[in-house]
Amino acid sequence: MPSEPRIPTEPTMDELSAYLDHELDNEAKARVAEHVAGCADCQARLDGLRQAAYAIRALPMETPPRTFVIPTKRRESFRWAPAAGWVGGVAAAMLIIVVGVQHLNFGGTTSAGSASPVSGGLAQNPSTLSQKGAAAPTGSPGSVTADSSRAFSPYSKTVTDPRNNARRLSLMINAATYATDGFIVVDGTMSGDPSSNVGQIRLLLRRGSYGVELPMPQQTFTNSNGIGFEGTYSIAALRLPNPATGSYTLTATWVATDGSAVTLFAELPVTIK
Amino acid sequence: MDDRDLVGRARRGDPEAFTQLMMQYQVPVYNMALRMVGRPDDAADIAQEAFTRAWVKIRTLRDAPFKSWLFQIAANLCYDHFRRGRRYGEMPDEETNKVVGLGIATPDPQERAEASERNRLVRQSIEALEPDMRLAIILRDVNGMAYDEIAGVLRVPLGTVKSRIARARAQVQEHLQQYPDFFPSTREDAHAE
Repeated sequence: MPSEPRIPTEPTMDELSAYLDHELDNEAKARVAEHVAGCADCQARLDGLRQAAYAIRALPMETPPRTFVIPTKRRESFRWAPAAGWVGGVAAAMLIIVVGVQHLNFGGTTSAGSASPVSGGLAQNPSTLSQKGAAAPTGSPGSVTADSSRAFSPYSKTVTDPRNNARRLSLMINAATYATDGFIVVDGTMSGDPSSNVGQIRLLLRRGSYGVELPMPQQTFTNSNGIGFEGTYSIAALRLPNPATGSYTLTATWVATDGSAVTLFAELPVTIK
Repeated sequence: MDDRDLVGRARRGDPEAFTQLMMQYQVPVYNMALRMVGRPDDAADIAQEAFTRAWVKIRTLRDAPFKSWLFQIAANLCYDHFRRGRRYGEMPDEETNKVVGLGIATPDPQERAEASERNRLVRQSIEALEPDMRLAIILRDVNGMAYDEIAGVLRVPLGTVKSRIARARAQVQEHLQQYPDFFPSTREDAHAE
């Protein structure tokens, strides 16, 4: 038996697909709906398109694996470096911008199961910072602190090794004040030392002579700036003095691996109330 | 604050404003690139480069919407990626551990394994698409853009957008039909729109 003659208004595949997306004008939409209601073949085609669309929409939205940065100075002619990706022309002058990645899984490094979003914070290009710290002589033990008073955000600090301007440590947090049941998000970047690894960093939250060490996060990444790390810490889970409220200093230390024992300290004030 | 205000400030050189734009678009741009090129590191490189170029060039942005312009930059970088001979990369299996917006992992290991396999098959079906079609369907079904927005990103007529999305969906469906255990026929399902 011959199949039923198709009515002239049979929708095209494009129309069926656009119908799913509510991208047809009212007249076309009504025509397609009317046709599909009485045509099993077109109904099946529509179902197939719907299944494909829904399958793709069901893919999870992924968290970017690293923070993104922008150059400190805009240049009209931007150099594209295919072999090395984007990094070649801009690595020397970067603003490290911590963008609000919602890390929902930190591989168990935090005591609480959730993470709060990271809010924006900027670390000043270290080359523009004044160096007030006493430079340790090369080859002799000592410590170095660089001033980053011109940082864009009060929540970030970058310190530079005056013996080697490329070597720097950036530390960022998502706020200056936290509730006792809040979460502190800590980001850091070590750059300028090819032998660096996050195991060389110690994070301390201290008040006066008392401090607690924050476990280094397993969430690390490598980019043109060096090695980065990011962790979220439940303040309630830290062994802070009782009461926990008060003024603290978050300190990241990085001991040089060249045998000089020169150490970079990046410090940020933290208030818990 | 909407895009226009932030773009205005960013055009005057305000990095904080651009940071806010980055915060707003980092996940959508990264996921667009991820579904285009497959490998997270490549996608992050592309997203990074897109933001860098956008920042460098933002003074040239006039009346066009920032979102379309940014995605246009990212889309061109995806094409560059393939032009440089880079291939589509397979996403590691652990991708579902890092999901934005859900927060709760599927508790049942079997369900989780099935979801992972279903996602793998869908990614495979996307990979099999020719890049123009892949981009169109990603902008629609991953990024949820309207057809006119997609036309702005791709700089093609609306009819071309419609056609690419329809053909891409048909091909994806054809691919998925090979796995009825994961993608059973929906013929008998209700489908009122």
